Amino acid sequence: MTLSLEERWTLIDKISRETVTFGKYEHTLKDAIGELTVKPLTGIPVAIAIMYGFWSAFGSFAGTLMTDGFFVKLFDGYWLPWLQGAFPGQGSWLYSIMVDAGGLGGSEFVLSDTCFEAFGVLTSGIFVAIGVVLPAISIFYLMLALLEDVGYMPRLAVLLDTVLHRVGLHGYAIVPTILSLGCNVPGVAATRILETKKQRFIMMTLLAIFIPCGAQIGIMDKVVPALMGWILLYLIIGYFIFGYILNKVVPGKAPEFLIDVPPYRKPLMRNITKKIWGRITGFFKVALPFVMLGCAIVNVLYLLGVIQWLGDVLAPIFVGWFGVPKETAGPLVAAFLRKDLAVAQLSVINMTDYQRITAVVLVTIYFPCVATFAMMLKEGWKELIAAIGVLIIVVFTYGGLIHLIGIILGVAE
Amino acid sequence: MGHPNVGKSVFFNRLTGANVTESNYPGTTVDYTKGWMKIEGEDVELVDVPGTFSLDPKDKAEDVAVAMLHETRDVKVISVIDASKIERGLYLALEIIEEGYPVVIALNMWDVAWDKNIRIDARKLEQILGVPVVPTTAISGEGIKELVSRLKDIQPVEVDDIIANAGGLT
Amino acid sequence: MTVQSQSQLQSESSSTAAIYFAILGIVTTAFGLADLLVTAGGAEFVYGTAILEIPNDIFRGGWGGLVVLSAGLFYLSGAKNIGEIHQFAKVAMGSILIWIMAGSDIFAMITESIPGGEDGSWFNTLDGFLAMYAPPYAPAVLLLPFSLVVLYYIYHRD
Ligand SMILES: Nc1nc2c(ncn2[C@@H]2O[C@H](COP(=O)(O)OP(=O)(O)OP(=O)(O)O)[C@@H](O)[C@H]2O)c(=O)[nH]1
Ligand SMILES: [Mg+2]
Repeated sequence: MTLSLEERWTLIDKISRETVTFGKYEHTLKDAIGELTVKPLTGIPVAIAIMYGFWSAFGSFAGTLMTDGFFVKLFDGYWLPWLQGAFPGQGSWLYSIMVDAGGLGGSEFVLSDTCFEAFGVLTSGIFVAIGVVLPAISIFYLMLALLEDVGYMPRLAVLLDTVLHRVGLHGYAIVPTILSLGCNVPGVAATRILETKKQRFIMMTLLAIFIPCGAQIGIMDKVVPALMGWILLYLIIGYFIFGYILNKVVPGKAPEFLIDVPPYRKPLMRNITKKIWGRITGFFKVALPFVMLGCAIVNVLYLLGVIQWLGDVLAPIFVGWFGVPKETAGPLVAAFLRKDLAVAQLSVINMTDYQRITAVVLVTIYFPCVATFAMMLKEGWKELIAAIGVLIIVVFTYGGLIHLIGIILGVAE
Repeated sequence: MGHPNVGKSVFFNRLTGANVTESNYPGTTVDYTKGWMKIEGEDVELVDVPGTFSLDPKDKAEDVAVAMLHETRDVKVISVIDASKIERGLYLALEIIEEGYPVVIALNMWDVAWDKNIRIDARKLEQILGVPVVPTTAISGEGIKELVSRLKDIQPVEVDDIIANAGGLT
Repeated sequence: MTVQSQSQLQSESSSTAAIYFAILGIVTTAFGLADLLVTAGGAEFVYGTAILEIPNDIFRGGWGGLVVLSAGLFYLSGAKNIGEIHQFAKVAMGSILIWIMAGSDIFAMITESIPGGEDGSWFNTLDGFLAMYAPPYAPAVLLLPFSLVVLYYIYHRD
């Protein structure tokens, strides 16, 4: 037998009256601080402080200490020269793919000085994965795990609810967004907590297009630190503009629901280490092979002349529409496998600062990496195709817009 | 089964030794995970599901949980309730009981309820509902042993009996 | 929730606290403003015998200055009637912001002090290591000891 809604609540009322006593509850400091973090006037400074701490710790640990402090020295000073000498057959295909392409495309073979220039699977590939991305995601996931376990995320959701409603998303959309900053794959999975198909579709599309993952942010911070602010600004603005447009054109509803805010809790050391460990092992199993594979594929395509050909064919689009050098074609191919690798490859192409901003933004928005792609497919192939449609439109309009802004500002031509 | 963020995944990890993500926000788990635990030397399959507010799913994650329950009629349900928000937790528990599933109730976050000066007479609750009710604190492991020990002898109960025990619906 | 049931700070210690945090609030606000002005001005600022160093980059001076300024305003708005829990929470929040800022700055110093630098050996020399911790300090680091006073009040509230 089943009860009606009212009957059930009446029954619960009766039961709880007999079994539960609510004692006097004192408002604690924790509750009062909790309230401060969700009210806009006080919550926004707190959010800024938390982002500040997040970013500062990220840069200090990944950039200053690990990558610049030790890994660059290790890879450029020891690993690269040693491999250049020890690996047989300088100038051969295998050598170019695995170790050092020696100034790809150029007529003369010159040994590279840094692991960024070498392009080899065992040099650039391993350096990017271990030397840059691994420290970045380690610290990133530590901070993320702290935010998750303390219970800050739902509060951020409440705080941002009004803003996100403008783009047809619920405040809770910030949760998938933040998870995506670690990796887009769990971010896409987390869209399941949104209620309607419309919300899920908008969210998934925005994540795949505009949110760079931790690996990518790590390498961006290494190769274009001075331009980070601009790149992130363009991505955030894009997220909102296209969120707004999608909300207008995608049919369906975007209903409200109440966000359940849990109390702040002290994070458990055991849980934090478990999470980080899980994610780092995941990195070695999934990301590392993809970085190396991506490196190999791009190198092969270079040697076959495919990339140069692609660059020439697409030159009008690259140069004319986006305002970036045609060599960008290479990194864009790599971007499909791993975006971090693509950004690393962009860094050695000769271009102006504004072109670099544009190029990095393009790499970010241009296509989700394979892992994200697979995850989106799991959520529904119709949505995936629609998302790709949106993506193509976004890349062309937004890429063109950024170029246009550059022309207006007088920093592009 | 239980509402989001009540500690289901903590239970699951403790009981099966699995590594499902536990976080302090609702909606951490969005897919089900199966695992094995031992009860008195016997292997028993345990499933961790996303949190849901009722058996009438509102989103895709809740869908997964409810579908999992309905697909497998022949199951026992550990209904995890946040003891500091017991009423809404009972709502879902009652729904599950009404559908005829054998249920054991874990009054989790017992420590939190205690700190908030909420006192629950678990024994009396058990008498009224006719299903085992065990106070637990999943993160420290308190009550988990008892919960497991009572899993084997749970039976479906009639909601009419519950109403009678509670003294009618008026 | 009712307010009158809350444990009040004893009145005399409460007025000391109010004065203390009001002053700290004024100093913190001033530091925050100085941060922002220096950043807007563009040149780094080092005070006298090199105790205080105000950063001038957009991130540390600009965003960081904004956080320090907010911390100051939290102190100021919470100092009045500090025995009341919601007011006290603002003061506590002011200190938390300072801890985030100072924590970031100190962590940055630590990470800079360990490696040996581009041409040096793997690790820094002991002298070089220690030199990193010498003054001048960023505003939040200077404010850190004074912000810790809030802990005393948190533990002595009841
Ligand atoms: N104080 C206290 N915290 C607990 C207890 N049980 C779980 N938690 C915490 O509550 C939070 C939520 O736990 P989860 O196991 O992720 O919750 P869940 O029910 O799986 O949530 P969803 O997957 O979102 O449905 C975590 O931060 C746990 O550490 C408890 O008994 N006492
Ligand atoms: Mg869970």
